[in-house]
Amino acid sequence: MAETGRLSLPSARPLRLPVHPVTALRIGIIVAVLVIWELVSASGWLYRDVVPSLGAIGKALYATLSDPSFYFHLYTTFYEIGIAMVIGGVSGLAVGILLGGSKFMSRAYEAYLYYLGPCPKIIFFPIMIMWFGVGPGSKVAMGAISCFFPVALNVAGGMREIDKVLIRVGRSFRANTWQMVTKIYLPAMRHPVINGMRLGLGVALIGTLLAETKLSNRGIGFLVIQAYSIFNMPQMYALLIILFVIAIGANTVIGRVGGLDTIKRT
Amino acid sequence: MAGVTVPFERVDSGVATTAPVQPILVVDDIVKRFETPDGVLTAVDHVSFSVAPGEFVGIIGPSGCGKSTLFNVIGGLLDGYEGTVKVADERVRGPHRSIGMIFQEESTFPWRNVIDNVAFPLEIAGLPKAERYERAKHFVRLVGLDGFERRYPAELSGGMRQRVSMARTLAAQPKILLMDEPFASLDEQTRLLLGDKVLQIQQQLKQTTLLITHNITEAVQLSDRILVMTYRPGKVKRMVEIKLPRPRSSEVVSSEAFGRYVAQIWGDLREEASRGLEDEEGRKLREGEKR
Amino acid sequence: MSEAAVAAGRAFARSRYGPALIGLGSFVAFIMLVELLIRVGLINRFIVPMPSDIIAAFPRVIEEEQVLHRFVLTATEALSATILVTVLGVTGGVLLHRYLLLRQATETWVAAIAAAPLVLMYPLYLVIFGRSALTIVMMGFTAGLAPVILKTLEGLSGTRRVLINVGKSFNLTPSQQFWKILFPAALPTIFVGLRLGLIFSLINIVGIEFLINFGGLGQLINELAERYDLPGTYAAICFVILVSVCVFVLMERLERWLRPVD
Repeated sequence: MAETGRLSLPSARPLRLPVHPVTALRIGIIVAVLVIWELVSASGWLYRDVVPSLGAIGKALYATLSDPSFYFHLYTTFYEIGIAMVIGGVSGLAVGILLGGSKFMSRAYEAYLYYLGPCPKIIFFPIMIMWFGVGPGSKVAMGAISCFFPVALNVAGGMREIDKVLIRVGRSFRANTWQMVTKIYLPAMRHPVINGMRLGLGVALIGTLLAETKLSNRGIGFLVIQAYSIFNMPQMYALLIILFVIAIGANTVIGRVGGLDTIKRT
Repeated sequence: MAGVTVPFERVDSGVATTAPVQPILVVDDIVKRFETPDGVLTAVDHVSFSVAPGEFVGIIGPSGCGKSTLFNVIGGLLDGYEGTVKVADERVRGPHRSIGMIFQEESTFPWRNVIDNVAFPLEIAGLPKAERYERAKHFVRLVGLDGFERRYPAELSGGMRQRVSMARTLAAQPKILLMDEPFASLDEQTRLLLGDKVLQIQQQLKQTTLLITHNITEAVQLSDRILVMTYRPGKVKRMVEIKLPRPRSSEVVSSEAFGRYVAQIWGDLREEASRGLEDEEGRKLREGEKR
Repeated sequence: MSEAAVAAGRAFARSRYGPALIGLGSFVAFIMLVELLIRVGLINRFIVPMPSDIIAAFPRVIEEEQVLHRFVLTATEALSATILVTVLGVTGGVLLHRYLLLRQATETWVAAIAAAPLVLMYPLYLVIFGRSALTIVMMGFTAGLAPVILKTLEGLSGTRRVLINVGKSFNLTPSQQFWKILFPAALPTIFVGLRLGLIFSLINIVGIEFLINFGGLGQLINELAERYDLPGTYAAICFVILVSVCVFVLMERLERWLRPVD
């Protein structure tokens, strides 16, 4: 006999977990991955060294982080990326403002940036070596070239999306060009600029690190390829873990700073 | 210091009525044409008028009568026209320090708070920080937003944001205030109350003002004189002196005289407006047929 | 300048092809300038080869280095990576959409991975898969996976509420609901994700080919560089750029053809 006048809810059995189910699932996934890893490692199913035991990785991590020469390499990479970001970022900003501010310039040149952007910049490395030598110069150049494109394209797009009335306000108060750029264009574009910088950092990181793996005697990339060449797998994993933590952390920080909540790449 | 009128206190120059006073704004025989894919469009066709110091002049016309073009020409944001615009005998070539513009759209800087928005023209002019803030505070108070100095535009209502824009333009102390449908995005009640505010400020500052609008009530409420424009090509169809007593408030909208003025202007305007409508519809029809 | 000249200049600037011609023209002019400076000796010809030499190197490179064969190799790697990425990426996105708890737990992880320099794992892949095409394909797959998952998820969850309600009003089963409403509605966004995935895959594939000196076009550049064949290296780089530009243009056209209404 159907019960009228009562709404029956589907499976309203309350969950009595001490933790939020999402956190529980996350912990569960992490634990499962670690357990499977350790099992695969111990079983020797793949080459023993390809999946080193968690203990070995942990030891390598500790060893790396307490090795002073590691920080020398870390500093080198930071330094290279830092300068690359400044060069690439400033030039990207300037070009982006130029392209975004003039329909003519945009129609003449922006397509080149747009289609050159997705090309892998590492293929320019041989040229960079010829021009800037085998030292940090070529790595900085790689990072700068990589960083330039997303910044320029985002800024150009951002310029076009600035509310036109704000530009008219600036002109009606007779602001000079520098004032227009610093007090109107840049603040109005803060989201695209920061987003462009975030993407630029991501690709500058890749460009510089890959260059270091190819031809260098210092830097994190060099350490990774060195670990590969002596087949020190735990060390390689340790380095990759440190690298990813830093990269993801930096991305998140910039994203938060820019008022953006996602850390999606696009 | 370019762009800011000194001294701070305004000299009472009185409202022009019958005694001939040297006009502060002279618009002389402006013709502005535009090139469009459909041919040459004459937006403004030999428009001339002058404005006396302290006067409130309204320019009203149907959509497409060229009033926004006129606004941009007088404000110096448009060039390539025939004729001249003179402010206090100086020819206008580009944005002029004695002309302040208030735009129709939302124009407050979302990344600056109220006081920083209002202080913007003073910042551009290079005033030192303390002085900037003092003056900006004065104008924030003038528009009735004291207490809101540190708020951001996103926290304010539409009417409040327009008041910020107004305070910002007034802070530059322009000889002439040029407004292009500043209340277009607001609802009627807010509009009336803001109109009160504008009247109050204008009377206090003896600010010469040019108001471009399509709203008859608003024009009659605020103006000393109204120029009625024709539909494109825009000419001055008629000039109407609004002899409603000053000081005014929004209560004036209920008076008989007010109603008569509105009716008179609507009589002129209706013709132009319906011509505009027919023209618009014809154009849309042709566009559709082309496709 | 006379008024007529100014007017003509403005018209040219606004014309359909005017700016593009200026852009192209300025590049050609720049290259000619570089040629001149090298011939005169102001630019070291051992660092920057003469543009005329580079152009001359093109036919040589194409013939001797079996460019077509290399292109096919790279394309095959890209295609394999794309197939893997599509199948696993879209499935992943669908799974995340279907199981809310899973999505809540892992979505930010996937986004974080998308932001990480995954390509740095290539030495690891070298160890696991050896210096082979498999390494390259797996690297391409790894790089392209995250955007596809995220975009698929975005597309499915972004379906307008009203469309879902239409399905409910017709009493569709969950399976029908998915295949007839959710999935078609999400398709445009999914394609955006696939395009992104392909781009990231391709970038990584060519890059890795260059780095590990194996494979198709990327390896060509590396080889020519190691042989100190300067004009050849430059020519090969130009060629790779040309190819990647063509691929992206094609992808855009394809996407626009599939999504005519936007």
